[in-house]
Amino acid sequence: MESIHPTPSQSNEPNGQPLTPLSSSKVQFSGKGGEFFGIWIVNILLSVLTLGIYSAWAKVRTMRYFYGHTRIDGHSFDYLATPMQILKGRILAVIVFLIYTFAVSFFPLIGFLFAIAFIFLMPWIINQGLRFNMRMTRHRNVRFAFKGDYGEAFVNFILLPIASVFTLYLLMPYVLKRIDNYIHSNISYGNKPLTVKLKGETYYLTALICFVVSSITMVIFMAILGLFGLDLLNVENQQAAQDPVKMGIMFGGLMIAYVVMIAIVTAVWKAAIRNHIFNNSQFEDVASFKSELKPIPYAILLLTNMLAIVFSLGLAYAWTQIRTSKMLAEATTVDIYPGALNLIDTTQEQQSSFAEEAANVFDIDLSLT
Amino acid sequence: MHVQGHYFPKASSNYQPGVANIRDTLVEISHDDQLISSYAISDISLTSGLAGLADELRFNDGSRFIPSDVNYRWPFKTNKHDLLERLEKSKWAIIAAIVATPLFMWLMLYKVVPAIAVYSVDTLPHSVVEQMGEQSFAVIKKLALDPTELSAEQQATVQQHFNTMLDALALEKSVYRLSFYKSQSFGANAFALPHGRIVVTDELANLLADKPNALKAVLLHEIGHVVHQHSVRITAQSAASTIVLAVIFGDLEGIAEVALGTGASFAQQGFSRDMEREADSYALTQLEYLGYSSNDFADAIEALQGAHTTENEHLKKVNNLLEYLSSHPSSQERIDNARK
Repeated sequence: MESIHPTPSQSNEPNGQPLTPLSSSKVQFSGKGGEFFGIWIVNILLSVLTLGIYSAWAKVRTMRYFYGHTRIDGHSFDYLATPMQILKGRILAVIVFLIYTFAVSFFPLIGFLFAIAFIFLMPWIINQGLRFNMRMTRHRNVRFAFKGDYGEAFVNFILLPIASVFTLYLLMPYVLKRIDNYIHSNISYGNKPLTVKLKGETYYLTALICFVVSSITMVIFMAILGLFGLDLLNVENQQAAQDPVKMGIMFGGLMIAYVVMIAIVTAVWKAAIRNHIFNNSQFEDVASFKSELKPIPYAILLLTNMLAIVFSLGLAYAWTQIRTSKMLAEATTVDIYPGALNLIDTTQEQQSSFAEEAANVFDIDLSLT
Repeated sequence: MHVQGHYFPKASSNYQPGVANIRDTLVEISHDDQLISSYAISDISLTSGLAGLADELRFNDGSRFIPSDVNYRWPFKTNKHDLLERLEKSKWAIIAAIVATPLFMWLMLYKVVPAIAVYSVDTLPHSVVEQMGEQSFAVIKKLALDPTELSAEQQATVQQHFNTMLDALALEKSVYRLSFYKSQSFGANAFALPHGRIVVTDELANLLADKPNALKAVLLHEIGHVVHQHSVRITAQSAASTIVLAVIFGDLEGIAEVALGTGASFAQQGFSRDMEREADSYALTQLEYLGYSSNDFADAIEALQGAHTTENEHLKKVNNLLEYLSSHPSSQERIDNARK
């Protein structure tokens, strides 16, 4: 962790001019698969033994491990949430979830009312979750913050996605751009807001590439089926279905093609969009970012992760998390400007993590990386 | 004792290199032999250690000191702070966790949750079950059932068999209610709803029109489901296991969650098969008791098997391979069980 920073007293440059960065370095990730495996497996065991109560501690330890091992310019991130905050949120979320599951399974018609209520609650839950996560993130004794707005969240997360259905999803890349823009432009580091300039073209172009990739895979699907004499379009001609061995090989082939397609499409989308967001966001005078995630190595990583998890019966999970973080860190460069030394933390004190937990249990994942 | 590191003042991105010295009950932070600050050890909050991460000191004024050596641990830390870290680094704890975790998961999903489900079903008020049944019935009716096209006398015959059996078994007629519907999607089939409504499809009534005893066997099987409160139990169980999985693995993502979900639904299908066996054995016992033969039950399953396989013969082989994916035991197993 040797840092090449000048001491604070030397940083007295005036604001408002284009500045040369004080330093430019890659994000470092120092987590190790073996270390995290121990943390992860002990987390699961204690969570199971305590009927889930320990899961709050488990979450904090996992987050602290990953934040603590991620360094920008020699300084690590801190995860500040306490297990009690997570636990309280989790208990609340489980109570709501209990009421929901029982109501829906015993009185199916009530499920409909829940769905309506949920639609209106969702923007609030999303905002709360983002707010909590940002406030619990700190770098160099300055916290991040998120200022969300219910109305905007409702438009971006509910109205526009519904509207895109009526445009045969042609609106979807634009909606995703709006969502990413909403999430990132509301982030601030200390008293410095993140300025984001995203372009719709990039989203449409990426969507087009993903579409072409999946179409090509569909053609390969059909070719495999044809190879085994099973013509999906012709119901009469299904001799292959009579032979279990052939069926097995065919299903195997299809599975592989499908998994490969998922990995490639995910990697292409994530890499292009992540690079676009990072390259067009900055904390003015404080930090700017560059992401050079390459889709093919990333797709290979995702694919090998999946294989490793399946063939190790889940045990490789810890290792896959570490190598993913490592690749993402290596693809990211951060330029630090003199303003970084004069930031002031303006965030207010704690809030419960209920919304974030509710989002977790109801499985609305809004990860920022 | 000199510990090299960085000192971060409160709420600022500023920091400076420094050295921490422990002096009795104080920690002094200095830089180039100039004292910056000193804090009482009792005012410092410590965090639990994590592998490979520096052990920071959080002072009560919001400032922090972070040692440069990530493996350094403060001497004034008590054992409890590092218990978890020691556990996470211990080979034996890790091996124990690898062995014990699947074991406890199995206990939870296969023993504890079903036991809780059985218990909670007994405490469920009758009106709730009635509501649940009627609402599910309304949904199914809308999705899959059409008005019956059976003749009035054919309906009356089956209804009369049904009533006679209810009387003989001393079961309440206001609870056990029989209805007929035509159903393209179910084909020849019968099903029971939790509150006691039993539905026989036209297709089934026609299939077994000349085997009245086989139809009785089917009815008894469905009565068995209601007597043992199977649908309430399986609902309670699936809700309970969803909650258990969500609580324990709340923050698992992606493929790991898919794998768990698949495991849970295998477990669910397992419960469902056990319940089918329970209903089968109820039907077999009561057939004997009412003076019929368990062969009637085998006849019914054979007829059903015939009816369903002519519909999709080419899938039969695949179906046999995928027995463990099914909600019912294989027909052959059920027939053998009845004939033995």
